[in-house]
Order: sequence, then structure tokens, then C-alpha cells
Amino acid sequence: MPTPAASNHSAGPEELIARLESSHCPREAKLKALRDLKNRIIGNRTKKLAFLKLGAVPAVVGILSSAAAIVGRGGDGENLEFHESVLIQSAATLGSFACGLDAGVKAVLDAGAFALLLSLISHSSEKISDASARTLRMIYHSKLAPKFDFLLEKNIGFLLSLLNTENENLTCLGASIISHSCQTPSEQQVLNEAGVINRLVGLLGGSLTQKDGSLEALAAIIKNNQEIAKRLTETGNGGELNTVIELIKDKNPRTRLLACTCIVSLRNSYVPCFHESGHRNKLVLVLSELMDDPSQVGDEAPFVLSDLISQKEDMQKIAYEANAIEKLCEQLSKGSLTPKRLEGVLLALADLCSKLECSRDKVLNSKVLTSLIQALAHERAAVRQASANLLRNIARSVKNLSAGHFMNEDVVLPLVRLLLDSSTSVKIAALGAISNIVVDFNTQKRLFIKCGGVKQLVHLSQSMDSNVRINALWALKNFSFHVDNRCKEEILLELSTSSMASLIGDPDPSVQVQALALIRNLVDGTLNSIEYVFGEDCLLLHAIGRQLRHSSSAEVLTQAMYTMSNIASGNEHHKEAIMTQLFPHESKDMENILIKHLRSVNSQLLTAAAWTIINLTFPGSPGTSGRVAELRSKNVVAELKNMVDDPCLDARLRIRTALGQLMMFIDA
Amino acid sequence: MSLFWVVIRQTAQRHYMAKKLVTMVDWEKKLNDVKVRREDMNKLVMNFLVTEGYVDAAEKFQIESGTEPDIDLATITDRMMVKKAIQDGNVEDAIEKVNDLNPEILDTNPQLFFHLQQQRLIELIRNGKVEEALEFAQEELTPRGEENQGFLEELERTVALLAFEDAANSPVSDLLDMSQRFKTASEVNAAILTSQSHEKDPKLPSLLKLLILVQNQLDEKAIYPRINNFPTATLEERTV
Repeated sequence: MPTPAASNHSAGPEELIARLESSHCPREAKLKALRDLKNRIIGNRTKKLAFLKLGAVPAVVGILSSAAAIVGRGGDGENLEFHESVLIQSAATLGSFACGLDAGVKAVLDAGAFALLLSLISHSSEKISDASARTLRMIYHSKLAPKFDFLLEKNIGFLLSLLNTENENLTCLGASIISHSCQTPSEQQVLNEAGVINRLVGLLGGSLTQKDGSLEALAAIIKNNQEIAKRLTETGNGGELNTVIELIKDKNPRTRLLACTCIVSLRNSYVPCFHESGHRNKLVLVLSELMDDPSQVGDEAPFVLSDLISQKEDMQKIAYEANAIEKLCEQLSKGSLTPKRLEGVLLALADLCSKLECSRDKVLNSKVLTSLIQALAHERAAVRQASANLLRNIARSVKNLSAGHFMNEDVVLPLVRLLLDSSTSVKIAALGAISNIVVDFNTQKRLFIKCGGVKQLVHLSQSMDSNVRINALWALKNFSFHVDNRCKEEILLELSTSSMASLIGDPDPSVQVQALALIRNLVDGTLNSIEYVFGEDCLLLHAIGRQLRHSSSAEVLTQAMYTMSNIASGNEHHKEAIMTQLFPHESKDMENILIKHLRSVNSQLLTAAAWTIINLTFPGSPGTSGRVAELRSKNVVAELKNMVDDPCLDARLRIRTALGQLMMFIDA
Repeated sequence: MSLFWVVIRQTAQRHYMAKKLVTMVDWEKKLNDVKVRREDMNKLVMNFLVTEGYVDAAEKFQIESGTEPDIDLATITDRMMVKKAIQDGNVEDAIEKVNDLNPEILDTNPQLFFHLQQQRLIELIRNGKVEEALEFAQEELTPRGEENQGFLEELERTVALLAFEDAANSPVSDLLDMSQRFKTASEVNAAILTSQSHEKDPKLPSLLKLLILVQNQLDEKAIYPRINNFPTATLEERTV
């Protein structure tokens, strides 16, 4: 006969809590209420949250402490079994609150249950020990758990005592402590020296939870630790590693995922291991298949795939050939993904498109651009960042850029909106995407201005965060390449001469590089463009000259020199101004920076210097002979003659051209 | 023309002869040469009894054959009580028992938990407790759909039971079948077995499936005495 539902639900939540808290409530009724609570919340996230709000956890912790005290005293002459039962039920209830719910973990920790539970795991009654260990394990699955200090010797002893038992709950607790708290190389080393790894590998042959727990713990000890990874893969340990490899084929999806995570961790820590293509293919195939799993396993799989292929073109190729892109795009177009899964899919796709043109093509052909653009406006910052990064990587495709697939309002507007995002990382990701998209070979750049893009970029170039400044200037630099004068005017309208000058003199050299490169692009074009640097009493020209004279960074000097060379391609007035910058009238003893830079070990810099000379001594210009004479008197000709056999082809070409032009006037 | 027919006949015979013929005598001799250990057979039987939950039989078999079960028999009793509770329609009782056995099972198996709640609703409807059912659906089932969008479709089907006056003749009447109870009971049984790190399926069916597969494959290459009737497992000689 079915149990009448009414009797168990006669008590509303508030009443239930009241019974637990009341000191007048008879013990048996309290135990019944406790079991009732436990059975209501297990598996039921909604109820857990509701009961948390009503203060259930402190009430249960109170019951746990008094029961533990009574049991510790031997039952106070009463029914010991009864009190043990109360203890077990309250521990189990707390465990359920903490299971997969950070708010629950916080409540349990705040109520002060941690130390008590820790003391209970060594209780003689296996049921009590089990229930407490299980609850602690739930807590350690959360980031909120207190950090375990592995560097204390007695703590290692305690950990080993957990790992070396036959009891499943205790060993799994040990493993979860490691997974949670092992972070630094010294902690990894301490655990390795204590022989923990061998024990964990032994547990791989145990129960399901032991397998999963050990894999997670192993991955934590190996992560980014080349020494440990290397020692594991060396001969003698091969057998143990094979166990991990076998687990890639385990029937439980979570085990497969954790085994993959472990192996990826090993590969990333010590590259030569698992280098055979057979293993690499298998890893990719297993991870691809796991992405179809509807549970949390499927959410996490793309992250592991990303770890496997990130920065590695050969792995990306293998993944491409295993049809990873189709799978990921399928997920993306399905829609209604959990935020975590969406983030993972976008991340993995971004990695796949980072170096391979074929991947970018495939993604664009899969018609997921709309979903991608939608993700740019997602409520979660990590998703917005991932989708902007994916867009940035796809936009590395020159073919699609020049076909104009990106310079339209659908793409540009959401990206420009992201420039106002509250998260800095999202801003930087958007700047990356914009930097690529504005390298547009058509004349659609006006659209970008219309969408407010230039205004925002200029605004961000004044940001307090140097990373943001660098990326904003980079985008502006790309935008201004070969752009028409009207667009240039817009940029300078927004970005005043004085702000430009201070960016050229920015404390961060990387900012200086981008600022100079921007100016270089701005003055590259018609005579009007060159006039910009002469505005406000040659403010910008002087700023550039200052860097040329004082900077020690080859990158900065190269950009400055190229800017000078662009200016020198202008009219007489421009050329003379450059001569003045290179050889100031005031001090005859000032260092000859032209020679200095011609002598640079950096090929780009000396090539730029040669270009400057070429432009200054352009044969068709009226004042050239005067400039040639001055250059000769400054020993530039002699210097060039010494450089005609420079190893760098480009440099050699320009030096010879420059020399040729100079000699034309000298010989004449 | 006769030469032509000779060639045809010979070709046909050769084609026929391409499949190796094995007589009953030869086949039985080959079979006798294969050694199978008694302990392995006992283990298979024990595995079947334990997985399916035949506790008393398993205990007796343990005594009579000396075969050790790979699970603590006490846990089988607990598991069988859960199964029975569901098959009797006492889902709430079953949930309590599962939680006593291992509180992690329902906490880490959202799909199983959803199916148990679904079964509770079905039982309420079966007993004509419509108002309670409505309340239950709202209180317990809707949150499952909110927590996990993947359940929405099944949720809609289940709630549809409430919409029909004569649920037994509605498009969703299959939910009221006893088979639905067995399905849920089976799911719980599998989850408990998995949590105890035991295989949720017995080995015996896999062996029989392998036998069928291998015989089918061998059929393409040979003619030999086949097993067509598993309960009797008699070899049937092929007549040519």
C-alpha cells in the first residue's frame, strides 16, 4: 500500500526547523524530523537553498555537537545506539547540504562543523567515521574548503593515514584533500616524497570513487611539474602510467574525462611523454566523444581539449582531422547551453582557430557566426571573453577579412559595446578582435567610426591599465593603416595632439611602441597627413625625436625611425625638419644618432635608418644636395660604405640604394 | 553443352566446398578439447544471482559450492528492498531506503532523482489523488525542470497525465503501466550497483550475445553443428 504522502508533508519547512531547534521537542521526534529533513533535501537543490535560508544548518550542527558529546561520553547511560543514529543522520544531512552547493558548504563551515567532523573520522564506529568522511569529502570538492597545509609534517602523516586504509570513504577523502589544496611546486614535491603517488596509482584499481578521486589527485600533483612528470614517465614507472592510459577507455564517462585530464597534465608538464601519434589521436577522439555527454562531464570536456591543443599546431591539426570542429559547432548552434558548456565550446573553438586557416574556414562555413555574436552579449563575463577571443582568431583569416565578412554592423556594434564592459579582460579580448577586424582591405572603415569605434578606442588609450592602453593603440594602429585622410582626421579629432604626445612618452615602453606605430601609420600617406606632427609647435615631432635620442628599446627606436622616414618622404620643409631632428643645431657635440642607429645590431632599426636617408636624399627634391653635403660631413657616407655587405638582404638593398643616391650627388 | 554443364557443376561444388564442413563427431571432439574451469562457471552463476538480487539463492549457492560472492550479501538485501518498494509503488519508502544505503546516490544522479519523483507523481495519479498530485507536481517536479532543462520534455509528458480525465486511455498512458515501475526500479538497481562498484549488468547475457555473434560470423565460413535453442543448448547438425 502506498505511504500516504500527507503524513510526511504535514510539517512545513519552518515547523521542521523549529522542531530541530527546540529544546522541548522529544528526542525521538527530533530524530524523525532530522531524517525527514535529510530525505527532503537529498537530490533537491531547490529545497536545499530554501532550508539554508531558514537556518537549517546551524540547527543541525547543534544536534551533531550534542550527539557527538553524548556518544563521546558513552551514551550517558542511555541508549548509545540512538545517539549514534542521531550523529550519523546529522552528519549525512550536513553532507547533503554541502554536496555540489557552495552556499551549503559555506553554511556548514560558518556553523563551525569542520573541526568536529574531522575528529569524528577516527571514531571506532565505522558508520560514524564513514558519514563524517563523506561529508568532509563533499566540503573538499568546493573551493571554499579550508586550505590543507601539506608542509606540516603531522598533516602529511594524517593524510597518509587516510590514504593507506582500506576504507573507501577515508581514501577518497585523502584524495579530495590533495585535489583541493595541492597547488605549489613545493607542495607537489612534499607529496611526491611522501610516496603519495604510488598509493594513488594503487587506488586506480579500486572502486569507482577511488578511481575518480585518485585521477583528480594525481593530476593536481603532476600539474606543471616537469620533474615529477618526467620521473613518472621514465622506465620502471611505465606500468603505472599504463593504468592511467587504460582508464581512458573506462565505461564511466567521468573516469574517462579524469584520465584524459591526467594525461594532458602529464603532456603539458613534460612534453616528450605520450608523444606517439596513437595516444594523441586517442585522446582527441575520447574528448570529442565526451563532449556529447549531457552531464557535467560534457561541460568540462572542451576545457580539457583546450588544454591539450592550446598553442600546439600539431595537436590542433589532429583535432581538426578528428572532426572536432563539426562537433563543437553543432553544440554551439544547438543553443540553450549552460554557461559553463558555452564557455568551454567557445574556448576550444578559439584554440582550434588560433593557427589553422582550415579551421577558421570551417567555422565560418558552419554558420555559427550568429550564435557567436549572441554570445558576445552573454551575462557571464567568461563567455563574453571567450567569444571575443574566438572572433579575434577567426578574423586572422586574411581571405575572409578581405572578403569583408566582418566589417558590418552585426559584428562591429556588439564588439564596440564590449569596449565599455565592466571586466578588463573582456575589454582586452574585444580589443584583440577589433584589432584584426579593422585590418580591412576594403573601404568600409567609415562604418567603424560610425559605430563609435574610434571614439571608444581613443578613450581606452587613456586607460589607467597599461594593457588596455597597449591594445587600444594596437587597434587604432591597425585601423589607421592606409586609411583615407578623412578617417585620419577623425582619429586626431578624438585623440588630441597633446594626448598623442604623452602616449609617445608613456612610462611603459610597450605603449610607446604602439603609439609610435600609430603615428607612423597616420603620417604615411598624402602631404596633409605629414602636417599632423607639425601641429602645436611641432609637439609630436619633438616627442618622436626625443624617443629616437633617448630610448634604449630597439622596438621603440625602430618605430620612431620609420616615422621619421615617412615624414622625410614629404616636401622640403618636412625633410629639413627631419635633418634638424637628427642633427640639432644647438649642440655640435651631440651624439650622432643616425650613425648610432645605423650601427645597431637590430636589422629592422638599421633598415629604417637607411630608408630615412633614402627619403632625405631623394634626387628630385631641390634641397637634396645640401642635405647630402651635411650627411657626408657627419660621416654617414663612410658609414654606409662599411655596411654594403650587411647579412640581412633587406638592409643591404636599402643601404646600397641610399649610397647610390648619395654618390650621385657626390660624384656629380 | 555437356562440358558446359560439367564446368557449372564443378564451379558450384567448389563454391559450396569453400565453406568448411564440420561433422558432429568432429565438432564434439573439438568441444571436448576445450577446457572450462568449474570455478569460472560458479562465478558466473554467482554473479548472475547477485546482480539480479536473488539473495537466498546466492546464500545457498555460496554454502553449497563454496563460491564467494563479489558483493557483501547483506547489501543485496538492502538493494532488493528498494527494488521491491518501487515495484509495489512505495516510491517515498524507496527513496528513504536508498538514502540510508548511500546518501550520495540521489545527490549525484539528477536524472535518477527526477525519475523517482516522476514515479511518485504517477502513483498519486494512479490512486486518484488529483489535488495532491497537482501540489506535488508544482512543489517537486517543476523545480527539477528549472534546475535542468534536459528534463523539460519528460516533465511535460508526465504532467500531461493530469490533464486527461481518463489518463489510462490518453496518449501518455504508458506512464501508468507496470513496465514504467520496472523501468524506474531497474534504474535504481543499476545506480546502487554502480555506487558499490559492481557491474550493473550480469555477465551471462553478454556471453550468450557473444555466442550468437560468433556463430553468425562462423556461418559465413563454415557449416557446423549450431546451437539454436539456448535453454536446451543442444547441437543441431546441419543437413546438407
